[in-house]
Amino acid sequence: MSSINPVPAKHVVVTDFDGGEGILVDLNTKKYYQLNETAMIVWKGLENGKSVGEIVADITANYEVAPEKATLSVQRIVDNFQTYKLVASQ
Amino acid sequence: MIPDLKGWLPVDADVVDGRPGLRWLDMSGVSLTEPSFQQTVERAKADGSRGELFTEFDVLLQVEKLLDSVEPTGFIFHSSRCGSTLVANACRAVSNSIVLSEANPIDKLIARFITDAAGDKVKESLYSVFVRGVVRALGQRRTGDEQHLFIKFACSSTSQIDRIRCIWPNVPWLFLYRDPVETIVSNLNDIPPWLVDKDRRVLAAITSVSPASVAEMKLEELCARSIGSFYSTAHRLANTNALLLNYTQLSVSEIAGVLKFFNVRPSKEEMDEIAHRSGFYSKEVSGTREFVADAQAKQQGASDLIREMAAAWASEPYRLLEEKRLQSNDQKQLNQS
Repeated sequence: MSSINPVPAKHVVVTDFDGGEGILVDLNTKKYYQLNETAMIVWKGLENGKSVGEIVADITANYEVAPEKATLSVQRIVDNFQTYKLVASQ
Repeated sequence: MIPDLKGWLPVDADVVDGRPGLRWLDMSGVSLTEPSFQQTVERAKADGSRGELFTEFDVLLQVEKLLDSVEPTGFIFHSSRCGSTLVANACRAVSNSIVLSEANPIDKLIARFITDAAGDKVKESLYSVFVRGVVRALGQRRTGDEQHLFIKFACSSTSQIDRIRCIWPNVPWLFLYRDPVETIVSNLNDIPPWLVDKDRRVLAAITSVSPASVAEMKLEELCARSIGSFYSTAHRLANTNALLLNYTQLSVSEIAGVLKFFNVRPSKEEMDEIAHRSGFYSKEVSGTREFVADAQAKQQGASDLIREMAAAWASEPYRLLEEKRLQSNDQKQLNQS
């Protein structure tokens, strides 16, 4: 797990939709990304300056999911954000 | 950088240089007093000094969190030429209300559910967010006192009621409709833009035929199939959050009932104003042309083809809708007794 906290990039706008889901817009590329509920929790966590470990702790505290599985899911989502340059390293 | 759009309203949805987006107009100081939103836009543009701007849709996501907007109070859907403008005008008589009557940016964005998002869940979500954003932009508090937001959609948006309900599941909605023969006669006497839309994909989706078939179809058939589809959609989706109203029921007391259904309690002065306005032709800007009931004239003016098409495509859905309305009324009376 990376020790550097990723943060949402300034050129990305998020809006919530349909309960817990959301849409991200990359204003540079004009690409849109639909986030499921888990990805939205991760995004909001990053917005609030939380580390990946803290987001995992939030998820395991609120949902019935094993820490190992939650860690894998959160890391995969963060990796996707990084691949698409939706987050920057702090 | 986010443009400062306070006081600006999106007035149309368009494609500029291959980029779909919104045309904005500085509407500072302009009240939405005309029977239709686009009439107000024309008045505002006529002074020739107002700023105009084109943005892509994503601006909606940027500004929606910045604007102080009124949440929707009630939605008006209709089958065309059935008194919906009268109801919208009544909503306008309520103090501190915003009435968006067939605003192009809303209905054109809703049409994109058909033309650009069919079968694509991500795009459907995206356009849902844009529709919500454009309503927030249009429903922004410009005087600070606005409390109610009523939206009268274009009749073609009736086909998307289920998607609109997904965005605002708790907003009560009205479906207003009229006898199919009278509706077709009215549409053919004064052909509306939706019936001759060059992008035939919307009508094709409404009538469940191909765009090529729409192009070849006589207007009588196209209109009959369309309103039949609107009746069917309303029949399928009407629930406890919906009110069905037939043109023949329209009266000041029924309009008061619609406002009550929207959880609005007009004052005596506002009801007097509604009664006064209902005596005039609803779509005229000056509000001075007296309303004359024309159901009989429309029935007499119907051609054989109109009657044939109404019978083939609209009469049965109309009958089913009427049946549902009457059952619903019976149920309400039972609940009250």
